[in-house]
Amino acid sequence: MKMRKNRLAAMSLAVCMAAAMALAGCGKTDGEVKEEEEDQNLPTITFTHGYYHDESEWPAAAEMRAIYEEFAEAHKDEFNFVIKADEGGAEGIYNTALNDLSSGEFYDIADFGGWNIVPVASESDAILDLKPYLDEDADFKDGVGVCYDQNLVDGKIYSVREQIEGVGFWYNSALFEQAGAQTPDQWQTWADFDTAVDKLVEAGIMPFGLNAGWPTNILLAGYSQRNEQSRAFYESGATVESFDDASFRESLAFMQDNVLQKIDSANFGPGGDDDEQYRTDFFDGKTAMLFNGVWDAGGAVDCAAGIENIKPATFPTDEPGKRAALLSGGTGFVVSNKLDEQQTEACIEFIKYMTSPEIASRIIEKGIGMAPGTAIDYDELLNKVETDDAKLLVEACRMCQKADVQALGLGNTFGDAEGEIQGKYAGLMDGSKTPEDVIKELDDFLAASE
Amino acid sequence: MKKRHRLFTKRNGFICAFLAPGIILFMVIYAYPLVNIFATSFCRWNYKNFQSPEFLGWENLFDNYIKMFTLDANFKMALINTVKWVVLTMVIQIPFTLLVALVLAKKPRGWKFTRNMFIIPNIISTAAIGLIFLNIYNPSRGIITEICNMISPGSNVNVLADEKYAFWGVTFAFILFGGSSCLLLLTQIFSIDPGIYEAARVDGASAGQIDRKIVLPLMRPMIGTVSIMAANYGLLLYNEIALITGGGPDNATFSLSYYIYRTALGSTKLNFARGNTAGVIQFILGILLVGCINKVFRTDQGD
Repeated sequence: MKMRKNRLAAMSLAVCMAAAMALAGCGKTDGEVKEEEEDQNLPTITFTHGYYHDESEWPAAAEMRAIYEEFAEAHKDEFNFVIKADEGGAEGIYNTALNDLSSGEFYDIADFGGWNIVPVASESDAILDLKPYLDEDADFKDGVGVCYDQNLVDGKIYSVREQIEGVGFWYNSALFEQAGAQTPDQWQTWADFDTAVDKLVEAGIMPFGLNAGWPTNILLAGYSQRNEQSRAFYESGATVESFDDASFRESLAFMQDNVLQKIDSANFGPGGDDDEQYRTDFFDGKTAMLFNGVWDAGGAVDCAAGIENIKPATFPTDEPGKRAALLSGGTGFVVSNKLDEQQTEACIEFIKYMTSPEIASRIIEKGIGMAPGTAIDYDELLNKVETDDAKLLVEACRMCQKADVQALGLGNTFGDAEGEIQGKYAGLMDGSKTPEDVIKELDDFLAASE
Repeated sequence: MKKRHRLFTKRNGFICAFLAPGIILFMVIYAYPLVNIFATSFCRWNYKNFQSPEFLGWENLFDNYIKMFTLDANFKMALINTVKWVVLTMVIQIPFTLLVALVLAKKPRGWKFTRNMFIIPNIISTAAIGLIFLNIYNPSRGIITEICNMISPGSNVNVLADEKYAFWGVTFAFILFGGSSCLLLLTQIFSIDPGIYEAARVDGASAGQIDRKIVLPLMRPMIGTVSIMAANYGLLLYNEIALITGGGPDNATFSLSYYIYRTALGSTKLNFARGNTAGVIQFILGILLVGCINKVFRTDQGD
């Protein structure tokens, strides 16, 4: 009796499930079912990015998502381009990739936003060499600009980006005029920098705010581009075996005597992500120079210093008239090497789209940042943009792109040693360390990290 | 004739069944990672062989340890700082918290309010505390620089950018926050039989004598317990450093936990082996610490 009841219940359940499935099927039109079947036959690629922010929080994120979606829509008949935002941002993507790599997996394609996954992923044989694709398409190569050379390691390029960190510096022309100092656009060599700083100090104007990190690293990297010798040492940063180099010693001495000891401790922060007092002070009109990237054009909007006084500049060198800028490609799009041919082609198509002149112009025009492409028409862009901050951004990007010397940022050059170098600034500032001490300590660090 | 005990009884089966989940969880969550940390400290394991740690070989077995103790200034700094923080929690936080608990136990006016205020820093996230202290120490608007300038005009003390002060900057961001320990101590004080106080008073003991001769000895095991908790906090210190100084200036505020993070994950070299080697040292320190505190306070013995 009991068995019969169970059988009856099981049969009823099966009938209900079959009916539900049939009804669910009825909910779709023939066209939709066909479309779904076609979608299932198309290759699928999942792209992961870190632009998860709400538009109100960060408009650039919404614009980037729109760019991705337009690509997916334009290619919906060729492949399914699934876009996934990781709410952990680029750091979250990096951490997930590390976990995935430990089990032999990797994203189809992801934007690492500067987080350098390449060494570990390439050693794990998980990612695709993009060089053959770049070499066969001149437009593609132009689109990635400096990323081609900067990311070329052992004959392979594992990552390119649609945005790069373009860094020079910003200055407040009103404060320079007030001090009677020559403005940075007229500087011929670093000696002019020294003269201007002295005049600013004499006039009671703080030349710049710094901290034990980012802005000071920019200045050190900028000064390291002054001549052939210093550039040669700087370029060898990734494989440097000793910091005992005359040009590096000179750079440290410059940082100590001509930079750090020109400001008081109230204008030298501890560093770290939350330490942005140097920016605040510049836009409040309290300091004359700000060492930060082109993206800080946005900081000039409604600032107390007056946007009309804020100007971009690149670094002088010791070769009169030659200018230097820091252009760091870093790690951006990375593609798995486990995809099939169609999926790989789709990924390459996407990267080509992201580095195309159209998207590059859009990235600059919308104030998102600087694009690496060498085919961007900055004059046209300058006419196209309307707001003052957008004009500042375009001008800053143009200056960086035009610079005679283009070098990587300190972090991209020296890797882990960047953190060690920046740790020494406080000691150089208060005089408790000499450049010689710093070099010895940095060499000890290199020996320990082998 | 001796009665033979059967191993596979129904009762033993039940006991095993109930113990099994706990044992399995312990093995997976604690024992396996611990064994893994020990084992990989004798390996080469970084970004070059990320998926498969490589045994260093018997000849080079202690390479990671030797390099860490002889060449790595950051590790040495982290170890010294960690030991200092453990000692400081023992000599500052515990006596201070104990004093607060003894005062509050007398239930003076407003004691409940004070107790609640004292516990607040412990229920705020360390991230918020970190940001508060970043502002307190800020060289251009922080109160510490202002006070120093009032005492010594133009001194412009920059706590977090100066190696001399940064260690103390981090220390004071956590050392006085003993709210949780205070609650435990108060609970222990309130659980002492009031008859004992009464008898002491009848014998003419003063309040100070009651605290010294009765309350403190009876609280010994609990003081030992809160000492272990506080010392462990000092040993494992990470959040405050990551938020306030990032280990700087010039790595002067590295702790062992921060060193492990920076070595294993905060570097493109992903030196997990070296990080785990420091983890082994931290583990050994922790065992020694708990053992010593237990010995001193005899926490395993009754009142």
